[in-house]
Amino acid sequence: MSRRVSSTLEIDGGEIRCRKCGHALGPKGAPWKHAAAMTEIPMRGAAGIPYSGGERVVLRRFACPGCGALLDSETALPEDPFLDDVLFD
Amino acid sequence: MNGEKTYVIATDVGGTCTDTVVFAAGEPVHIGKALSTPPDFANGVLDSIRSAADSMGFGLEDLLKRTGLFTHGSTVVDNALLTRDGARTGLITTEGFEDTLLVTRGAYGRWAGLAEEGLKHPVKTDRAPSLVPAERIRGIPERVDYKGAVIRELDEEAAEAAIRHLVEAMGVEAIAICFLWSCYNPDHERRVRDIAAAVAPGAYVTISSDIAPVPGEYERTSTTVINAYAGRIAYDYITDLEALLAEKGYGGPLLVMQGYGGLLPAEESSRRAVGMIECGPAAGVIGARFLGGAMGDPDVIAADMGGTTFKVGVIQGGELEFAREPLVDRYHYVAPKIEVVSIGAGGGSIVSLEPRTNVPRVGPKSAGARPGPVCYGLGGVEPTLTDVMTLIGYMDPEIFLGGAMRLDVDAARAAFEAKIARPMGMAVNEAAFGIFRVAAAQIADLIHEITVERGLDPRDFVLHAFGGSCPLLAGVFGRELSVKRIVVPYTAAVNCAFGLVSADVVHEFAHTTMRPVPTPAEEINALYAPMVERARDQLGAEGFAEDDIALQWSADLRYRRQVHEVTTPVRAATPLDEAGLEALVSDFEALYERKYGKGSAYRGAGIEMTMFRLSARGRMTRPEIPAEPLAGEDARAARRGRRDVFVEAEGGLAPADIYDFAALAPGNLVAGPAVIHTPITTIVVQAAQTARMDPWRNIVIAFD
Amino acid sequence: MDPITFSIIRHRLFRIVDEAVITLKHVSGSAITNEGHDLMVSLYRADGSLLMGGVGFLHHLTSAAEACKATIRRFGDDIAEGDVFLLNDPYTAALHTSDIYLVAPIHYRGELVAWSACFVHVYDIGATNPGGFCPDAPDIFTEGFSSPGIRLVSGGRVNQDVMDTLLNMVRSPEMVALDMSSMIACNNVARERMLALIEKYGHETVDEACRTLIEQSETLLRERLRELPDGSWRSRQYIDVNGEVFKVNLTMTKRDDGLVFDFSGSSPQAPHAINCTKWASLGGLFAPLFPLLCYDITWNEGVVRPIEMIAPEGSIVNCTRPAPVSVATVGAIQSVNNAACAAIGKMLDASEKYAGEATAVWHANHFAVFMFGRNQHGGEAIGILTETFAGSGGARNFADGIDVGGEIPNPISRMANVETLETIFPLRYLFRRRMTDSGGPGRYRGGAGMEIGLTPHDAPDGGLHYVVSGKGADFPMSEGLAGGYPGAPNSYIWVKNNEAGTDPRNADAGFGQSVDDLPGEQERISWGVFPLMGDDVLYLRWNGGGGYGDPLDREPGSVLEDCRAGVVSRETAARVYGVAIDEDLAAFDAAATEARRRALAAARVPAEAAE
Repeated sequence: MSRRVSSTLEIDGGEIRCRKCGHALGPKGAPWKHAAAMTEIPMRGAAGIPYSGGERVVLRRFACPGCGALLDSETALPEDPFLDDVLFD
Repeated sequence: MNGEKTYVIATDVGGTCTDTVVFAAGEPVHIGKALSTPPDFANGVLDSIRSAADSMGFGLEDLLKRTGLFTHGSTVVDNALLTRDGARTGLITTEGFEDTLLVTRGAYGRWAGLAEEGLKHPVKTDRAPSLVPAERIRGIPERVDYKGAVIRELDEEAAEAAIRHLVEAMGVEAIAICFLWSCYNPDHERRVRDIAAAVAPGAYVTISSDIAPVPGEYERTSTTVINAYAGRIAYDYITDLEALLAEKGYGGPLLVMQGYGGLLPAEESSRRAVGMIECGPAAGVIGARFLGGAMGDPDVIAADMGGTTFKVGVIQGGELEFAREPLVDRYHYVAPKIEVVSIGAGGGSIVSLEPRTNVPRVGPKSAGARPGPVCYGLGGVEPTLTDVMTLIGYMDPEIFLGGAMRLDVDAARAAFEAKIARPMGMAVNEAAFGIFRVAAAQIADLIHEITVERGLDPRDFVLHAFGGSCPLLAGVFGRELSVKRIVVPYTAAVNCAFGLVSADVVHEFAHTTMRPVPTPAEEINALYAPMVERARDQLGAEGFAEDDIALQWSADLRYRRQVHEVTTPVRAATPLDEAGLEALVSDFEALYERKYGKGSAYRGAGIEMTMFRLSARGRMTRPEIPAEPLAGEDARAARRGRRDVFVEAEGGLAPADIYDFAALAPGNLVAGPAVIHTPITTIVVQAAQTARMDPWRNIVIAFD
Repeated sequence: MDPITFSIIRHRLFRIVDEAVITLKHVSGSAITNEGHDLMVSLYRADGSLLMGGVGFLHHLTSAAEACKATIRRFGDDIAEGDVFLLNDPYTAALHTSDIYLVAPIHYRGELVAWSACFVHVYDIGATNPGGFCPDAPDIFTEGFSSPGIRLVSGGRVNQDVMDTLLNMVRSPEMVALDMSSMIACNNVARERMLALIEKYGHETVDEACRTLIEQSETLLRERLRELPDGSWRSRQYIDVNGEVFKVNLTMTKRDDGLVFDFSGSSPQAPHAINCTKWASLGGLFAPLFPLLCYDITWNEGVVRPIEMIAPEGSIVNCTRPAPVSVATVGAIQSVNNAACAAIGKMLDASEKYAGEATAVWHANHFAVFMFGRNQHGGEAIGILTETFAGSGGARNFADGIDVGGEIPNPISRMANVETLETIFPLRYLFRRRMTDSGGPGRYRGGAGMEIGLTPHDAPDGGLHYVVSGKGADFPMSEGLAGGYPGAPNSYIWVKNNEAGTDPRNADAGFGQSVDDLPGEQERISWGVFPLMGDDVLYLRWNGGGGYGDPLDREPGSVLEDCRAGVVSRETAARVYGVAIDEDLAAFDAAATEARRRALAAARVPAEAAE
């Protein structure tokens, strides 16, 4: 039986997986974002005119390498680490 | 009025029932009741009148032919809003402010009307869907400033194009027009109204400066939209009802109740849908004021508890209070409206235990009329407050509703035991007493808060208990609040209809403008002059003689830089002289401190007047209800035995005398603990209380 | 205890708070208290722990508990019946100096049995800037009057010397006096009603009910926490001040029935007034925790017990004296609250049972613009633009965020009407409408924020000045959830001498309908005191709520509806949502949408990753 991680991810067979296509993103209990397809786009203009923030601010989008589904996103400065979430056993 | 046409009929259409009372000089009050028949409410109206006519030995048409006055209140507008059954409406407003209606002053529209459970749980809250969606809102270049000065000319071409777009492309049937600051300068709204009349003669048009000429664009826009949305329905309803009554032989005027507690002629009322909102409960408060006046009680808390809601109105010194932020469903509007506070608590309120802690609560869910309480046997499975009343001995299962329905006590007991008593680890009786106490305490808390909000003390008030459920509980929460005494009116079952016959024709006028204190009295009088003239003309045209016309001036005042405004009646002679104006200001200061507390006034900032109101009353002559001669105190003739009921002072069951209301005579005295069964409700007289029937068959409960 | 009596007493305690709130609003009469609902009233146990929190500004529930405890520590045995203490020192318990606590002991037959406490944002506190927000304050000493605890009322009698001293230090002392009266009256009502309750049911019974109420809340929250998955969730908030960046970092860890909020890694305390003290941080994290995790649980000490906070000393979330903190409530405290909201949202979203409670961040960014100057009636006007309370909702697991729907920590605020504001201030609004594309895209869209344009009108001095302590112009702060984008950031633009305003040839002169329609020189601002004089315009646009889920999963019909309502642009519909919409907004092209969405999804996966 699968276990929910978020509305986009689940744990099945000991692996964190995309809920849409089942693509595996590494073992449960560990950070998964490095295994996702990450695109970093400038926040400025990311979704229309009001996205008028600072030049260095980026929107990180973590997508499923299997199906391209968006799994998570975060606001960041390029040098800052990923916000890793972990579900314990 | 015509000598042969001796009767006055009042019919109130409520959500469930349509009630009628018929008055004639020297006769007791006749009562009729029928189910309401939405959406064609007029059928229920005729059924209800017919029911009263039956009890008088007349046919419907016979009664109507002998009737000289028909007063009416109806839930038709509330119903149209509740069921979202109004016209397809468009909105024209000032360019740049198209979203005013949709964003409801921020969070306000999201939380207004919610109880504690909702306020604490914002993730699960939303606004009510707007009556006009964004795509049917059009902004027009134009602008007036806070002084009423035009600072940007109206673009008439844009207005015409917008109207054409709304009507032709969007298919709207009604148009609301509300511009910024139109309360101080209605010119642009009127011009757009005229354009609409020319371009879209079929559309129902409402302009804000007509329907709600007050500052505050969100509330004014919302009111205008509601009026446009429900306008046609109200108009058709009233004109159809007039025709129907005429067809059945009625030849007199039709007067329609307004939310502010006055009647308006049908023609005028048909153009003001918002005026009819919650007019039934308003009539109820008017009825309580009338009865209170007749009994010498100017201070009354009027509490009405039926199957689903508990409603409270407060009458202080014979004066009614107007609501500051009226809501209908969850829509704001601004119109003079008697304050009636309503919560979801009634006989049908479901008793439940909170998950995990097993703490009992009453409501907020209700079993309503269908499936209703378990004891009704109509399929209800959740125990309700009415079931609890049955379990603690207050209801006589055999004679409920005059014997029309038999109560299934065993089913109520089984459901209550399984869902409430056993999980709480209590015996059925003990748990049922407890739930009763919880309900009474919650009502006491509510009424206490309402009085505090007005700076009042419940101990100065007489409690009127209306509706099917209130007289069961009033003895307990009335004592907790230490009210002076409790009155269960003879007309408690048809209270709103009773209010309709005790109301007068009232036209409300208002002029919005800011004037500092002091302003010369002459200047104030000049503001009133046109309103006074219109009022006299109007009432005169309606047939009121000079002697029957009363004009009440009042003004809204506030301390500068403060948000609270207080409507202050002018007590001096009008037109005002300087002394009269000074008296008005000192009355305001006294009222302010009474309502908002000692030390709340900040005179240093100065005082300003923001609105000038005129209430023009045409006094109705109404038949007097005869006082019956008093019999002795001995009530034994009405006694129907003795049974065990819950007596609060004992904390458990104790024997109580049981009485039949119909057999009681004025003057009879009943000592508690006792239960008086009437065809529509049950009056519980607790220990250390005595109930007396007065010459008008009201039951008056006094505390020993 | 007997569940019936318990139920009755609990209901009454809630009503007591309610009646005290009514009294506070009545006596105060100020716009910020009555419209903004920037207030709080709660009841506390004899030891100062929270007993019954009211629905007000929720940042204060735990801080006022600390204010009661600090008063007990300071005054010890010298606390008498009818006393009222004033406390507003942020390093003792308060959030910032202008939010004054009045805490009052409740004695029954000579014994201290409970406390009531309340706050309002007073009209002025005598700080450098009118209204109390001082973006340029170098330290707490310039942020106005501040007391770690002083007796304002002795045995029911106001200590006039103390009151006069306070009033001597503030602008508009009459208005501050009203604020004080309202809080005294509010505490009086709470005490009278509490004593009536004890009279009726007896001290022992009420005490037992209070104890039970707290135990029950603790049990309920712990049970709920056990139902939620164990894990740790991170969130981060950036605060930008004139180009400098400060961070609030949060790792929230849930194990069994306990929850730890660890702010390690947050920036050292700032030279700017955005810092907050540890009591303020605690209040900041509880503000979303109450309504998100305890919506059906009484807000009291029982809810506080399972929660632990780690806030490094000397950091922006636990600053040391004399760091300035006057902007804390819309600075670090709000960021703590946003970070907590984001982390709690993720935890809820990880639970099958509670996913329906999950929400992206609401209104992460107050802009708190305080206007001051002389108004058209010749009087003085100091006041906040109540638009700051009209944030936008974060998208939820089941629905869009609510456009301009408010905020979580202050759930029942109101925004004033334009007609009210144009009466109070010598200002004219050019427009006030929802901002296109401001809500964070997602399967469920974040609520839209608004944009306003303000220009002087009939100002006797030619205009006004205003204090803006507006972070969030560089960084969006309303984070999305489950892939949803953050809501758009704020924007503050000073349009100098809007030239069209004086051009007589232009019939629409001075009525520009968008920021591009205002031809003066435009300067981005966010921090400090600025003029709004002559034909200047202040253009202000505020943040949308965070989105929830993948924007490519949003119903195309909903995107079309958003376009028609003007909340989403056609370009964003195509570029972010992948929905192809006709130029006349009549319909969307299903086939083109399908293709576009496939292409956008594919573009997220770099070629090497896809192999």
